[in-house]
Amino acid sequence: MQDLKHGFRIDSSKCTGKMECMRACPAQALRVRSGKAVLVPELCIDCGICLRVCPSGAISPTTITFADIEKYKHKVAIPSAVLYSQFPMSASPAKIQSALMKLGFDAVYDFSVEIELANRAIRECISTWKGPFPLISSSCPVVVRLVQVAYPTMVDQLLPIELPRELAGLEVKRRYSKELGIREDEIAAVYITPCQAKTISIVQPAEGVKSYLDGAVGINEIYNDILVKIKEADSQKSSSSGRLLRSPQLLLWGMPEGQSANLSKQRVLSLTGVANIIKVFDDIEKGKLRNVDYLECYSCEGGCTGGNLTVDNLYVARGKVLSLFSNSIPSDEAFTREVEERYPKTDFALKAPVKPRMVPEGSLGLIELFKRRKRTEEILAVLPGLNCGLCGAPRCRAHAEDVASGRADARDCVFLSRDRINELREIYTRPNGTGRYAKKDDGELKGRSDQAGPEGD
Amino acid sequence: MATELLKESFPVAARNFDKAGEVSSEIKMILKDLGINSAIIRRAVVVSFEAEMNVVMYTTRGGMITFVLTDEEITLEIIDDGPGIPDIDMAMTEGFSTASEEMREMGFGFGMGLPNIKKNCDKFVIESVVGKGTRVFALIRHVG
Repeated sequence: MQDLKHGFRIDSSKCTGKMECMRACPAQALRVRSGKAVLVPELCIDCGICLRVCPSGAISPTTITFADIEKYKHKVAIPSAVLYSQFPMSASPAKIQSALMKLGFDAVYDFSVEIELANRAIRECISTWKGPFPLISSSCPVVVRLVQVAYPTMVDQLLPIELPRELAGLEVKRRYSKELGIREDEIAAVYITPCQAKTISIVQPAEGVKSYLDGAVGINEIYNDILVKIKEADSQKSSSSGRLLRSPQLLLWGMPEGQSANLSKQRVLSLTGVANIIKVFDDIEKGKLRNVDYLECYSCEGGCTGGNLTVDNLYVARGKVLSLFSNSIPSDEAFTREVEERYPKTDFALKAPVKPRMVPEGSLGLIELFKRRKRTEEILAVLPGLNCGLCGAPRCRAHAEDVASGRADARDCVFLSRDRINELREIYTRPNGTGRYAKKDDGELKGRSDQAGPEGD
Repeated sequence: MATELLKESFPVAARNFDKAGEVSSEIKMILKDLGINSAIIRRAVVVSFEAEMNVVMYTTRGGMITFVLTDEEITLEIIDDGPGIPDIDMAMTEGFSTASEEMREMGFGFGMGLPNIKKNCDKFVIESVVGKGTRVFALIRHVG
């Protein structure tokens, strides 16, 4: 099995074991062992909720920095439309684009054309699709991974259309290598991303192929620098050379109903938030959801403007997007010409089909799994059902499963072993930790843990 | 002879539309835990959901779904003491439904329930006596 990569890393030296990530993870993919968060990679769907809730800054996205793209001859930024919604209204898209150039990019690529191409391809795909219905949008990498892990029967309902950001990566390489006479691999196509999940779709696409993009930079990582460059430009009263966005539709992609605005004739639902998506997917699985052709899904509440690498709150950002949209001018003839010219020539097919994710248990066979399930039920019966998490698993059931499959010791439950409390006290009161008692002087701390039998308390 | 691994019965309450679907969710979790092929799981989920909906919609006293898993098959038996089906052939016709306007407005009663069950299983038996009740038996092979 190929090693599963993820769009974030956990720095154990910074982790204080507060279990916030473990409790928040919708996929129950995190455990806390010896006071440190540990990922169960095959369960993780890269939603990035752990990054949001981590109180100690131990979880960071695997985005790239300028140092990583230093080696490329031509560095091209491909900003997500969300970037334009993060700054004060006075900072027009043109100003933001020229700030990106000043930061070291050789070009900024506005991928309005690719958005329009994808919108058309989606419309065409839906109207000719023979089933199974509904089709599920694949623009959010978390949704794709959720289907692979939890709804494997629905993988063939994922929209089999290449994403605009990937088409843009391909076009950037083609265009600049021709224009500048350099090789495609000397050109860096860098996505400016609102979330860490897009980075994993670049590092390890769900179809198991190679992305056309070379990496992603988080909006929050360059936010301050852009702001400074815009202020500098404003004070010099220099007019920005960048043009307006080529098509206002660019702004709507990644927003709820952003794709379905173009799909008025079809029956479409627009979903945001992992928990809401799960509810609808359950209904699909039962055959309960009928007469729906297309689901536009965003794992973040409010769509991509709610991504975990954004700066402004999603409601303000959404307001700005809508205002930019209503103030924007319609696309020009050159835009229409380019779309007409490229649409018939574009290959929208995915390079490989998306398949369900294999889990290690898959090879065990029914009888072995049946025994394991029985063991899980037996263990679960003696656990308190409080889901306190002190064992290091998010729920009693998860702990029972971990024990049944040999990944954990039943006595990690404080109800089954008194030693566990002492062990936890020891871990969370370490002088170098940030545990509750950490600030107290050593003597008092030691005194406490010495008398700390359950009866003593 | 197939070895029985699991047998569980789930009561289904009549008219309980907000809870309808819980049995099929539970069956799905069990089959998923046991690493059953996902296409098979989906068939079992559809069968149990449709059967559950029939009990919820048409009976007044509810019914019982019994789920049995062997090393070769999944069987679902749905028994109720509801109104019974006067014309089974008619009931098996796609699009035929006796659902009330109210049920249709709630998004049920498309006349696909029984046909969908039959379509998704390898062996299907239905017996019904008007005024006494209905028994549906569905078998899905999960190996071979």
